Amino acid sequence: MALRYLKNFLASEAFKNAGREVSDVVPRVVKYICCLQLTILTSSLSLCMLPTLGLAGNLCLAERISTRFDKLGVGDIVLLRSPELPRKIVTKRLVALEGQSVTYTVDPKNSDRSETVVVPKGHVWVEGDNVYESTDSRKFGPVPYGLLQGRVFWRIWPPKDFGSLAQSKGKDPVS
Amino acid sequence: MRQWRRVANEAMQFSVTLAKFIGLLHVTDAYLFSSTPVYGTSMLPTFNFRGDVVLTERLSHRFGRVVPGDVVMLRAPYDPNKMVAKRVLGMEGDKVTFVDSASTLHYQKTTVVPKGHVWIQGDNTYDSFDSRSYGPVPYGLIQGRAFFRVWPPNGFGFVDD
Repeated sequence: MALRYLKNFLASEAFKNAGREVSDVVPRVVKYICCLQLTILTSSLSLCMLPTLGLAGNLCLAERISTRFDKLGVGDIVLLRSPELPRKIVTKRLVALEGQSVTYTVDPKNSDRSETVVVPKGHVWVEGDNVYESTDSRKFGPVPYGLLQGRVFWRIWPPKDFGSLAQSKGKDPVS
Repeated sequence: MRQWRRVANEAMQFSVTLAKFIGLLHVTDAYLFSSTPVYGTSMLPTFNFRGDVVLTERLSHRFGRVVPGDVVMLRAPYDPNKMVAKRVLGMEGDKVTFVDSASTLHYQKTTVVPKGHVWIQGDNTYDSFDSRSYGPVPYGLIQGRAFFRVWPPNGFGFVDD
């Protein structure tokens, strides 16, 4: 009995129209996803990037071309997969590339002790702008370049801060 | 004049279809599965040194379903442009015992894999540059899991765990 209803439903016009609509929408969605490959919207709600990216949450545009073609430089704000939580994407500033040496304060809240380390091959050193609150390379060490996902280059929300994110080349990685 | 417009229209249609096709190929390759040639001696006898073509699926690692025993493709930690195929032997929190390849006395060492990392080794322990040399690698470097071998024909079939 139920089978007959099911058969009738499958043969009905309503179902066929729905099927046609789905097969119309799916390719369009797929095309849209393909276009999105080049740019992704990111929401940075972390404390780590104060004062550059504020507490209230910013929407930024990130691009994936620089990471793929090795065009990142010191001072860029990058997105990377956290080495401790692989599903989480964090925003940090690139402070040193492979081969450069980094001098950093190990625990700025409690002491002034600083250490110097050379970034190994294939790795980069990232730090958040707010050194007091940031979990970054000072805690988990240099990260492999393969974990970098993109470079943040434009802020789109809040509107008063709309515009390009300033390149701060003031961070000196070499001691 | 009308001929040119027709030709231009057709060319436009063709390029749009081509762009759609390439887009679809790219999305499948990046998010579903892709075929990759595998070279090198580090995965003997599982993978031939002349080059096997394997299908790698790119869904398991996104959902955290990589388990010890899987052969995974990952970006080398020492060279981001290089992809390597190795077997996962330990997940975060596991204790891994291995022979330190750098030492001549072959002492066994035991380490605990830190949070968010995996321990990878090639099947050919004598000729593999892996976690025994550069330590555990972050899980985020894994790009896919090799599950099926397509070439050579006499090796056609699932890659065993």
